[in-house]
Amino acid sequence: MKSQSFKRLFGNIDYYLLFSCFLLCALGIVAIYSSGIDAEGVTVSNEYLKQIIWFGIGVFLLIAAAVFDFSRYKDMVWILFAFAILLLIITLLAGKVVNGARSWLGIGGIGIQPAEFTKIATVLMLARYLESAEFDSSFKKLLMTGLIMSIPLALILAQPDFGSALVFIPAALVMLTLADVDFQYILFGVLSIVGVFLFLSLPLYASNHPNPENILFTAITNKNVLIAILIFILVISIISGIGWLKFKKRYYYWLSYSMAILAISTIGAIIAHSILKPYQIMRLLVFIDPSIDPKGSGWNILQSITAIGSGGFWGKGFLQGTHSHARYIPQQSTDFIFSIIAEEFGFVGCIVLFILYGILLFRCIVLIETSKDRFSQYVIGGLLGIFAFHFMINIGMAMGIMPVTGIPLYFVSYGGSSLWTGLISIGILTGISARRYSA
Amino acid sequence: MAMLPKKITLRIRILKALIIMLLVIYSINLFSMQVLRKELFVSEAQRISIQSTRIPAPRGEVYDRSGRNLLAGNIEAYSVYITPSELPGSKKSEVINKLSLLLNIPIEDIENKLPDSSLYSYGRIVIAKNASLEAVTQIAARIDEFPGISWSSKPLRNYADLQSLSNIIGYVGTITRDEYKLLYNKGYILEDLTGKAGIELAYEDLLKGKDGWISKAVDVYGKDISNNAAEIQEPIPGKRLILSIDSKIQKIAEEALGPRQGSVIVLKPATGEILAMVTYPYYDSRIFMSDNVGKAYLELLNDPNKPMLNRAYQSSYPVASTFKTVLTAAILEENAISPDKKIYCSGELIYGGRSWSCHIKKPGHGALDLKNALAQSCDIYFWTAGRDYLGIENIVSYAQDFGYGKPTGIDLPAENVGLLPTPTWKEEKYNEIWTPGDTMNLSIGQGYLLASPLQLANMMAMIVNDGIIYKPHILKEVRDPTTSALINEIQPEILHQSSISSRTFETLKSYLRGVIVYGTAKVPINTKVVQVAGKTGTAEVGLKDRWHSWFVSFGPYDAPAKDQIVVATMIEASNPWEWWAPYAANVIYQAIYANQNAHDAAKAVGVRLEGSSLIGKRE
Repeated sequence: MKSQSFKRLFGNIDYYLLFSCFLLCALGIVAIYSSGIDAEGVTVSNEYLKQIIWFGIGVFLLIAAAVFDFSRYKDMVWILFAFAILLLIITLLAGKVVNGARSWLGIGGIGIQPAEFTKIATVLMLARYLESAEFDSSFKKLLMTGLIMSIPLALILAQPDFGSALVFIPAALVMLTLADVDFQYILFGVLSIVGVFLFLSLPLYASNHPNPENILFTAITNKNVLIAILIFILVISIISGIGWLKFKKRYYYWLSYSMAILAISTIGAIIAHSILKPYQIMRLLVFIDPSIDPKGSGWNILQSITAIGSGGFWGKGFLQGTHSHARYIPQQSTDFIFSIIAEEFGFVGCIVLFILYGILLFRCIVLIETSKDRFSQYVIGGLLGIFAFHFMINIGMAMGIMPVTGIPLYFVSYGGSSLWTGLISIGILTGISARRYSA
Repeated sequence: MAMLPKKITLRIRILKALIIMLLVIYSINLFSMQVLRKELFVSEAQRISIQSTRIPAPRGEVYDRSGRNLLAGNIEAYSVYITPSELPGSKKSEVINKLSLLLNIPIEDIENKLPDSSLYSYGRIVIAKNASLEAVTQIAARIDEFPGISWSSKPLRNYADLQSLSNIIGYVGTITRDEYKLLYNKGYILEDLTGKAGIELAYEDLLKGKDGWISKAVDVYGKDISNNAAEIQEPIPGKRLILSIDSKIQKIAEEALGPRQGSVIVLKPATGEILAMVTYPYYDSRIFMSDNVGKAYLELLNDPNKPMLNRAYQSSYPVASTFKTVLTAAILEENAISPDKKIYCSGELIYGGRSWSCHIKKPGHGALDLKNALAQSCDIYFWTAGRDYLGIENIVSYAQDFGYGKPTGIDLPAENVGLLPTPTWKEEKYNEIWTPGDTMNLSIGQGYLLASPLQLANMMAMIVNDGIIYKPHILKEVRDPTTSALINEIQPEILHQSSISSRTFETLKSYLRGVIVYGTAKVPINTKVVQVAGKTGTAEVGLKDRWHSWFVSFGPYDAPAKDQIVVATMIEASNPWEWWAPYAANVIYQAIYANQNAHDAAKAVGVRLEGSSLIGKRE
């Protein structure tokens, strides 16, 4: 009996998932090795060795996460969540500042980024909540999700690590999608985020151009005008809100809906403006127009784009990426790892990377469809959101079609914390897949 | 397996569609970049990057007063490079061998810098950073034997044999992390040198200059591809500084002080210019430019004699009888005691249940008026005057007037302001009440009172100037580094103006002259070439047979203020006792006004610079 159940257990493991994950890690190590070579052919960095060590440890973490049956002990996930929050608080108080954010916790040269592991803990916590709230109203689910998420979000924003904080939103959105929350709420969230981004970057963009031609720019750069608009929007949304409650007319509802999005966008933009560091704001601007600062913040993007484009169909070959090895691109091994892969392995190599990521994302969806309980589905959904978002932002950023937010490409980018987070997530997914058909 | 509601199934389909959309859009974008628009990016990647090379600005030169003696300048330091693509493989090992011999670098070290993968690189690889001129000359002379070898030079700070001037000039060192944070906005980079002490630190802004740039277009291999001449932004050298220091007087003062821990200041009271400032022991600025600066610096720091300290203004001491000058001024100005009134010195005074001994033991000085009390430096007179006639408030107020306990504002870093004790200060510090005994101690410059030699020089300057102290300064002129045109001349700046009447100063000057003519300094100050006025001081420091020795003075006594100089000498009690301060001053006056060197001057006044045979007198 026992051996049979073992067989069933191993038989059900999603090997596609493991396979693509390990190949991505291998590709990452190769790319990290290449990024550590300078134009003179000298190995100037031993990052690839560290990555190999982290990968080795990460595999054990993966196995441990797979063996542990999270859905059996789902009532305990709040302990994990609380622990993650505690780590974040300690980081804020005693963390090390790296790249302008107090995001590192550690002794000496060894450290972790608690924000990374918090992603998993928060996904588990949200999954537990959504499962227990199966029959609650959409609005309540949205509100509670927002509340749970706001704790780690606020702590990470306080570091301040804008990129890592952003990732929580898509994770929650996918989970809410699975939780049967009305699309209008999800749309509300998406539009609010887009609005915050637009309202944050447009006035900055305007202020960096000598002659703002658009009257919209003047409107949102002038503080008094802005306050007036904000009050106007709030009044309209309140009035239309009352109108809707009173007359139950559909157009009142949509008016209030869109006005609320505007209000949240404006307020969010103001808050973000006070939280973001000048260099981060510059990155947002550079996203709109890299030539605005070609030697400064725009440099990364222009160099990354050039490196990718010059790679061509077949690539320049391993260790032959002239642009990357001239060390034109800072953070080559972390945020811009994609540019070196694209330069040296070309379009073909990138498509292989896309396919591997595609397999990973699609296996997640298959797992959602086949997993045995709602809790597991939510967990997979959250992790799927995180993977997809990191993929979208990181590669989009390297290609110059997404803002530079400095988040890693899971499994590929150099960095112990993000690699471990990725491998633990895969471990959780593997565990779910192994148990999906068991009673 | 949980059954998925239909609605959720639909939503999962949407998720799938979104993922496919994402992958497809990214693939199309990538295809467009890497296949359709490839040529654009390839040419972009190969085309240009503008490579900027920094041309370091030479640091400003520092000259003495004459404008002819270079104290701190620059020499060229050479870096040697290899351009691998220009070095034929067949000659590689031969060239490396020769370089190794010339530059004194192990062959392996050079080879390690030239891995196989770099064989075709057009970029220059640094082989040596501090090559000698001889090595570079040899390479240049036989350049055909050194294919692919090139060099560049950058200015490196170079100091003359400064001796005691080292502590004034200071030194430069690599910028520290903390300094870098502060100086970042001024355009400093991490390899920059900054002034760490003395003039180098105080006038960093003037000396620094502005680095230049050569911008040239290079391709991705680092090969120069610009057709036109490189765009050059010339470096702007730092300003030339002319110090008020007179090298001749500095030398005289240095030799007059000799190897004794202490300091000498020669000051021009009419402007505040410092003509000489000697501290002993001193360091050698040149060791900071050597290769093992770390070790040398540690040795300096750990030296118990503290050679890094400029004792002339960074140390404060008990000033002893020199402080009687302040009391005399106070007595005269306040008319506290009639100048003719005599106070009897029996060599001893009983107060507060203990015996206070004058430096002349029983039977003491006898009856002395103010003039003679100052000349003989009678403790009994000034104890009585301070305690019974002036009181602590008056003494403190006059001491403040003379600059005690206040910064002199000298243009050098980290001055010691000393300590002027007051009753409030004592209560706060020790929670004890100020006693008449404290007043008596202060009256003869003992007790808590501390002042730097520079502060005492200022005291004398104020007497010479009838109440004005000019801010002492070392910098005299700022000049253009290339044309030597005058940019800025430091004007005398009034630090303090006293309200004491000029009549008091006139009387005080004649009394101070009396110290030399018929007082305590009659024997040591025997120079005939100049009339000196001043005050001796011998400070108790708790040792039985040794004291701090002071002599603060001015001269020529009969000359107008603008032609006078102030000389302050201070010998620490750590030296064997020889009452050297007045003797050193004597030699200095003789040498300056007879236009001699210190050795001839010493002979002329019958003093051996080596000292030791002198029999000193303690007051």
